[in-house]
Amino acid sequence: MTLMEMAQKGQEIPLFTVIAQNEQMDVQLLMERVGTGRIVIPYNIHHQPKQAQGFGLGLSTKVSASIGLDADEDRLEDELFKADEAIRAGTNAIMDLSTAGDMDEARRAIIKRVPLPLGTLPVYQAFAEVVRTKGSALALEPEDFFKVMERQAADGVDFMALHSALHTGLFKTAKEDKRVLNLVSRGGTLLMGWMLYHNKENFLYTMFDRILEIAKKYEVTLSLADAMRPGAGADSLCGSQVEELTVLGQLVKRSRHAGVQIMIKGPGHTPPNQIAATVQLQKQVCHGAPYFVFGPVSTDVAPGYDEITAAIGGAMASAAGADILCYVTPAEHIAYPNAQDVYRGVVAARIAAHVGDLAKGCPGAENWDLQMSQARREQDVEAQKKLALDQDRLGDFHASEKPFCKKCEKGCAMAVAGEFFQELPWEC
Amino acid sequence: MTKEEIKNMNGEIKMTQLIKARKGIITPEVERLAKLEGLTSDELCEKVALGRVVIMKNKNHKNGIAVAVGEGLRTKVNANIGTSPDCVDFEDELNKMRIAQAAGADAIMELSTGGDIDAFRRKLLSTCTMPVGSVSTYQAGMESIAKNGSIVGMKVEDMFEMIERQAADGIDFMAIHSALTRPLIETLRRQGRVTDIVSRGGSFLTAWMFHNDQENPLYTQFDRVLEICKKYDMCLSIGDAIRPGCIADSLDRAQVQGVIIAGELVKRSLDAGVQVMVEGPGHVPLDQVPATIMLQKQLCHRVPYYILGTLCTDIAPGYDHITGAIGATTAAIAGANFICYLTPAEHLRLPTAEDVHTGVIATRIGCHAADIVNKVKGAWEWDLEMAHARKALDWNKQIELSIDPPTARRIRGERNEEGDEACSMCGGFCAMKVVGEYLGTTEGKC
Repeated sequence: MTLMEMAQKGQEIPLFTVIAQNEQMDVQLLMERVGTGRIVIPYNIHHQPKQAQGFGLGLSTKVSASIGLDADEDRLEDELFKADEAIRAGTNAIMDLSTAGDMDEARRAIIKRVPLPLGTLPVYQAFAEVVRTKGSALALEPEDFFKVMERQAADGVDFMALHSALHTGLFKTAKEDKRVLNLVSRGGTLLMGWMLYHNKENFLYTMFDRILEIAKKYEVTLSLADAMRPGAGADSLCGSQVEELTVLGQLVKRSRHAGVQIMIKGPGHTPPNQIAATVQLQKQVCHGAPYFVFGPVSTDVAPGYDEITAAIGGAMASAAGADILCYVTPAEHIAYPNAQDVYRGVVAARIAAHVGDLAKGCPGAENWDLQMSQARREQDVEAQKKLALDQDRLGDFHASEKPFCKKCEKGCAMAVAGEFFQELPWEC
Repeated sequence: MTKEEIKNMNGEIKMTQLIKARKGIITPEVERLAKLEGLTSDELCEKVALGRVVIMKNKNHKNGIAVAVGEGLRTKVNANIGTSPDCVDFEDELNKMRIAQAAGADAIMELSTGGDIDAFRRKLLSTCTMPVGSVSTYQAGMESIAKNGSIVGMKVEDMFEMIERQAADGIDFMAIHSALTRPLIETLRRQGRVTDIVSRGGSFLTAWMFHNDQENPLYTQFDRVLEICKKYDMCLSIGDAIRPGCIADSLDRAQVQGVIIAGELVKRSLDAGVQVMVEGPGHVPLDQVPATIMLQKQLCHRVPYYILGTLCTDIAPGYDHITGAIGATTAAIAGANFICYLTPAEHLRLPTAEDVHTGVIATRIGCHAADIVNKVKGAWEWDLEMAHARKALDWNKQIELSIDPPTARRIRGERNEEGDEACSMCGGFCAMKVVGEYLGTTEGKC
């Protein structure tokens, strides 16, 4: 039985109890939402992450960080260090997006290291392997893909990003859209190129039942990716993006029917005033499936600071109902992120997630801020450090002198005001 | 124009930008700023006449270049600098001003509390072309400690003398906490806030009022404030003494009562022909930001709103430039016009030069994201141009167009080798090329 089926049958396993407790949610409500697909718990039976996480309706907004071997960044220890840094910064999930080197070895090492849900994008490895064996990504056979998917699932990958909604029916709209940046999804581009070259339908779409079988066997949560995700604010909510969303909605139904947990990935570059609409549209069209957004990046003009453009978009998306934020690092658009970028990206995304949680009224969110404010009022520096979202950051800060006080000889203004309000003297 | 009016204009006797605009006089500032903001001179003139736009330029700030703030204009960014008793290094603070300007700040607030404050302000005004703002109560408080031994011993005359002294030096906009009254403080006390008063100027005055058992002279003698502002065409920025210091205190009775009083004072300022804006919070949860802005706009006759942040959560010290950028976008979409930056050092210590740079850039990102939505001229086009540069893989153009070119260039340069365009993914058959051919566009890179 899958988690979804257990939840439907009312079988309260310890996993549900623990997550419900962590999230301050009634366990029956949690199970009802897992059963109906409003909440997913990525939990491959071969990994069973110690710090399992729920993503979805009524839960705190989560953050995911991406790492992986690349042609130019192929040292496994570097990527493992990035995973450690992402965890230290407080990420809730990790994605291994390796496209080079020994991808099997890397994945297995990362799975062993990471107590959190781990995701992959299996077409990356599938294409990279045929480049090696057959000389071109276009030589890929569907069987090559399914072998990689099964291998990754057997290794314990908890959630997989798949571009199953990309099908030839979207091409006409994509052409008519005349977008500024056609396709920025790498997996989506490779697949579309493959489809056009062979004049064939996308096997991730036609053979979706086979995907469901593998997912079911290992309890892999599907994370259906948006090949048509906009790569510029100007391309947001264009025809092909919306059309793909309706296909994603159909696949959500099929997946749930099979008892397989599913979430949907989303943009990407989205102007601030289109973020709420984007999230609401997805929630409706995809039957309330958890929404995993990339940023969203709220403006195109700030390379070097995209952790900030994404924090702005992420806070708005989270407030509108997005459930998990894929981080964006300061290196986005210009370089491959290093460990420091990973850390900064996770922290910025966590700020955005928490701001959204405050707006959504997530249990515990408001209280955290209240405790910090009380610590400020009481000038309790230790408590402030403990409550800070990034505790490690404050080490360098509190060392310096108080900025202001010149000591009033006759009566401190702050003491006088404090006395009036009957509390501790203030700092000026 | 009548001869009398021309004489007045030439003599600039008691003619603020507001009064001139009401008379339909297109000043050189209005003409230049209208062009810059993509409006016609008449459109901008009308907004100034209605008080919905202020033009920050004190007649005595000789090398100052006017900046317009308000409805329909690009959202502006302010950076704070200033000495403190422990840290009096003029050159350091002037350097921060230059860094803020290079990072794209529109205005500077001079918040010095240490050393020879007069000398520093004059030095700053003589070198800074951006509008310079101040909070006169800081210096008044510091001088009172020297003269009377305490802030609460401050003399009323000294408060006004300080406003006049700073205005005469050329301060372009001044935060004055006139909207703080004793009934308001009583409301605040009964409210039982988590953090009562976090505004420093507001705390000084509260203590002074309580200690001396007197009403706030900046409120009771508001006409004197107006006279000084009018004389120098200094923009009055009504201080937000009771702004919330944590999100739990947002939109409480005291804050709302404070906005009502600010609204009364705005009306009096406009009637007197004084350019005026209102300062606002502070710590506000994201879902309360639009209501906060709308309330102020309605109660304060739609004059420009000058916001600190807003900070949308309390728990990220070290990253308040980010909590501020998130809040700034939502605030500016809702109608805020001028954003005071937050640096990573907020709540922790005085900002370093690097903090100033980071704070200005983060705040500009927040404001620009809002400008896209607000259809500010050039905002959408800037993003579009960047998207085209990305599509064309034109790295020089991308860096040139980025909000902080040196930083983008550094990150790119550090980690990418020259001519790093090769891709071995598809061998002889490039998937990108196939897609590009189908969509009838140039090929990109996967």
